[in-house]
Amino acid sequence: MPPSSPKLYDNKKTTIWFSITAIVLFVSLVAMVLQDSAREWKEWQVKFMELSREKAEADLREAEHKIDSAALEKIKADREKAEEDLKSHRRQIGELTKESEALAVEQAKVNARNQELKQEQDSDRYYYEEFRHKKEEHEAEARRKRMETRQAELDGLRRKLDQLETAAAAKKEAVNALSGKVTELDKEMARMTEAAGRIETKVEKLTPDWRSAVLNAPMLDFIKPTLQIQQIVVEGLRDDYYFTKVPKVDRCVTCHLGIDQTAFTDAPVPFKAHPRLDLFLSPDSPHPMEKFGCTSCHGGSGHSVSFTTAAHTPRNEEQAEEWQKKHHWHEMEYWNAKMLPMNYIEASCAKCHQGTVDVPQAPKLNEGRRLAGTFSCFGCHKIKGFESYWETGPGLLHVQSKLQQDWIVRWLQNPKAFRPSTKMPRLFHLSNTSDPDSADKNNALIAGIAHYLIKNSEPVSLENVPGKGDPETGKKLVETLGCLGCHSAGDKQANDHGPELLNLGSKVKPEWLYSWLKNPKAYHAGTRMPDLRLSNEEAAHITSYLLQQKDEKFDSLRLPAVKPEVIDQTAMHFLTVTMREEQALEALKTMNEDDRLEYIGKKAIIHQGCFGCHAIKGFDGAAKIGTELSEHGSKDVEKLDFGFVPIERTRQAWFFQKLKDPRGFDHGKVKSYFEKLRMPQFDFTDEQAEALTTFLLSMEKGTVPLEMQKRLDLKEKNIEAGRFLARQFNCQGCHTLDGETGRVRSVITEPGDYPPAIDGEGKKVQPQWLYHFLEHPSVIRPWLTYRMPTFGFSEERLTALVQYFSDLAGETPDYKREAVTPESPAHQAAGPELFKSFQCIKCHKSDPEPGLASSFLAPDLVMSKSRLQPEWVADWLKDPQALQSGTMMPAFFPDGQSPMPNVLGGDAAQQIEAIRDYLWAFDKAEAANAMEKPEAK
Amino acid sequence: MTRCEKVLFLAVLFCFGFTAQAHAGAITGKANFSGQAPAPEAISMNADPACAAAHASPPLDLSVVVNPDNTLQNVFVYVKSGLEGKTFDLPAEAVTLDQKGCMYYPHVFGIRAGQSLEIVNSDPTLHNVHNLATNSKEFNLGMPIQGMKLKKTFEQPEIMVKFKCDVHPWMHAYIGILEHPFFSVTGDSGTFEIKDLPPGTYTVGAWHEKYGVQEQTVTVGDGETKAVDFNFQGA
Repeated sequence: MPPSSPKLYDNKKTTIWFSITAIVLFVSLVAMVLQDSAREWKEWQVKFMELSREKAEADLREAEHKIDSAALEKIKADREKAEEDLKSHRRQIGELTKESEALAVEQAKVNARNQELKQEQDSDRYYYEEFRHKKEEHEAEARRKRMETRQAELDGLRRKLDQLETAAAAKKEAVNALSGKVTELDKEMARMTEAAGRIETKVEKLTPDWRSAVLNAPMLDFIKPTLQIQQIVVEGLRDDYYFTKVPKVDRCVTCHLGIDQTAFTDAPVPFKAHPRLDLFLSPDSPHPMEKFGCTSCHGGSGHSVSFTTAAHTPRNEEQAEEWQKKHHWHEMEYWNAKMLPMNYIEASCAKCHQGTVDVPQAPKLNEGRRLAGTFSCFGCHKIKGFESYWETGPGLLHVQSKLQQDWIVRWLQNPKAFRPSTKMPRLFHLSNTSDPDSADKNNALIAGIAHYLIKNSEPVSLENVPGKGDPETGKKLVETLGCLGCHSAGDKQANDHGPELLNLGSKVKPEWLYSWLKNPKAYHAGTRMPDLRLSNEEAAHITSYLLQQKDEKFDSLRLPAVKPEVIDQTAMHFLTVTMREEQALEALKTMNEDDRLEYIGKKAIIHQGCFGCHAIKGFDGAAKIGTELSEHGSKDVEKLDFGFVPIERTRQAWFFQKLKDPRGFDHGKVKSYFEKLRMPQFDFTDEQAEALTTFLLSMEKGTVPLEMQKRLDLKEKNIEAGRFLARQFNCQGCHTLDGETGRVRSVITEPGDYPPAIDGEGKKVQPQWLYHFLEHPSVIRPWLTYRMPTFGFSEERLTALVQYFSDLAGETPDYKREAVTPESPAHQAAGPELFKSFQCIKCHKSDPEPGLASSFLAPDLVMSKSRLQPEWVADWLKDPQALQSGTMMPAFFPDGQSPMPNVLGGDAAQQIEAIRDYLWAFDKAEAANAMEKPEAK
Repeated sequence: MTRCEKVLFLAVLFCFGFTAQAHAGAITGKANFSGQAPAPEAISMNADPACAAAHASPPLDLSVVVNPDNTLQNVFVYVKSGLEGKTFDLPAEAVTLDQKGCMYYPHVFGIRAGQSLEIVNSDPTLHNVHNLATNSKEFNLGMPIQGMKLKKTFEQPEIMVKFKCDVHPWMHAYIGILEHPFFSVTGDSGTFEIKDLPPGTYTVGAWHEKYGVQEQTVTVGDGETKAVDFNFQGA
């Protein structure tokens, strides 16, 4: 039996096991620490340091290169020489320094004594005042005497101090005179090498050394590491983590280190600077980094510091693959606020920019918004911001006076078959309703709608066309009167505000078109079509021209057969929604064929929401049929039905797909006809769909507090109200205004025929004149064939427009008429003289002759005093090109010089005033007078 | 310039590499015209009596002027390329554009970028000189006083800049703006001559208001004179 051990365990074995576990624990500890400390972002920061150092070194080389080495050498040599000189004066300088020091000691002594006496003096003054107050005259007198004596001593000390100061200054100057040269050269050298020196320090800082190695070492990096997470805390913004909201923290700058520095414009990603530092991130840009952060525009997970968890979104599949390889990227499936891909980034602007017609610098978003308006998305969907948008489709309240029922049927089959450029979408015979059964239903519903519309409309009285118009003249009128300011016709395609004037002969009757042209509001009060004040002849010519063109193919399209049983089935479907089957059958029996057609027509209009765009009798205030889109940009992706369409599971992909193929998500689904998707086909191009997707993404749940959003002041609000009206009535269809060139210019060959540019109109014309002009336009430029239409603006709109023009020009509308009178009799005499010499009347005729090129003429100056602002007239005379480049009005005072040295001392400014003042006295009689002269043979 | 100064001047030019001055080449030639020329159109100046009074009979439009020997006037011939990188002294004297009898004289001409253009109004009526330049600043000057003169320059080369008078719509002139002095306009003999050209290979352009632009490539050697003809085709 082995001797029993007194211990319960083996010492040696225990030691071995203990050491093994200790080693394992230690190794895992080290591994843990190392793993924890090795972070993706640190690698980027090290790389960025390297890049910055390389840049700094390059800068250093450049700075050193810039130093004029020859000059530097010369200064060095000079300094050595000066130093030599200095040596010979060393003794002298020594003495001077010693004397200076002695003076300084003396100065200090005198100063101390001075301070001491001053204190004593203050003390005596106090007692003197006290004793005098207590009427202890004796004591007071003693103090007064002491003060007197001391004051004398103080004065002496003051003089002494002055002397010492002067002496010290003299000594210092003497020393400077001897050694100053060296100091001066030192300064000069420092100045030359200053820039390089600064960069050198920077390079040193960026060079890793043992100190940074220690500071960044694992376990020690809590002290003061040089590599650390960088973050921006955006005050006032919060990120939503579903159960809690936390302040927005953006750590993107941990890796995107050069994002706000112009020096990194060409650096590789992620160090590359933001491409628009003028707009974003820079402290002096409208969106400084500290205030806006990164994710407020880009989206993504701001607090994350790894490539994947930051929720980067690739631009396309290629980039996704590249990222998978490079950064082991995968999609953050459950993070709802992924970064916006760059092609949709403008959607973010709308977070803060609300209530404006356009957002500056966001063309795609603006285009999307514009399309949502012109294609009337808001007709079916409630969309915030579109509440007061205008009616987009033609009103159908009197449609029986305009259209034939058969035409409506053919049109509804496929609107683009008649007019490819129409904004009316196709509602029937789409991808999910093309099977034979659905096709039968489509045809029945179309017949029903056409029947309903004709039956439920009131006739309007139409005028007969007086005589036969001449189509050739009509064509000329269409091209020169102003129709092209809104409509396209033939090869003249400048505007698509109104429908393209195409094949109207297949669509409407002459009486209707004639009456419509003469007075559009008589047919439909809500129309945007203005009154061009056409004469009967003009309207007849235009009517004959527009009706000349027919689409015979469209006219001969066979009307689809409508099966009575399909009508009955459809009617039964609608009836059984609210009735039991027997009741429904009973109800159906009471209806004759016409009633049934009308009934399904009405129901089809409700089903398709036609009233969203068109005014239809019986549908006033009907509810929109589509989903509200006001917060669609924040809609949870899992709530979107992707059906069986193989696309990315993102909002943008879904929106894009829906816009391109609105019925596509029905593919592969089993649905009855009336359960199917209803959104019509607009045939958007990819660009349009992308712009609209950007717009939809911009419709987010409000996350930015009101005070952080762009707030419009009163002026800006006025301008936006005006911009809205300008868009509604298509001012820029003809006029150059507010940064947009008049679109119709593209189809006018002669610049003299352009409708006027009205930028700066608020500075140019008097507000009350503008108000009346907009209400009842009158002829200002008789040579222009383009006619300003009468829009029939309400008082409210007229005021808004006048205010808009004023605010746009930075003016406050001044409604009181300015009295303009000449400064002196000399001015009064000079006015007509200059007017005559400059031959103003030559172009500004009061009664223009026909037959001259349009550019020959200028407005009648008799109008000036009631139309123009006096300050503007003076500015205009000074330099017309500056106010309107390309104008026919020549400069009579080039470079501020007058060609008439004998009038008012040749002073251009005074001559301009004299002419302007004369215009305020210029009437018909004066004009007739002035006209006679140049006409005399 | 004294002889001594001249020699010095040439020596300096030589030093700067302008050997051309010493061995200048030239391009000469003709602008031939074939086909039917439009009948010269008389301009009606009735709109402004001051203009009509300046002419005994209505003057003819200068847009197409064919000489009796079937050569074409007012063709602007210039070196279009081949001089890149070279600079040439700017003449101090101005080029004159006269408005006389409500016509521009000359009708077609050339000027150097930066050289002064003196615009004269010799008429007792208002003219405005409106240039439609795209490379240089557009200007539109009113010249109401007879005998009035204004000076202007063009900053950038441009072929061709149209001048017009908005008061008298028939008035127009064309000006070719170049960075070098090698251009010429055909006159009543239909010929042109571009002198003092350094040796080299050049693209020569010929521009006419109605009949468009033509180009030819020419190599000019030291002291050599090359003949180049342009043929314009009427209707």
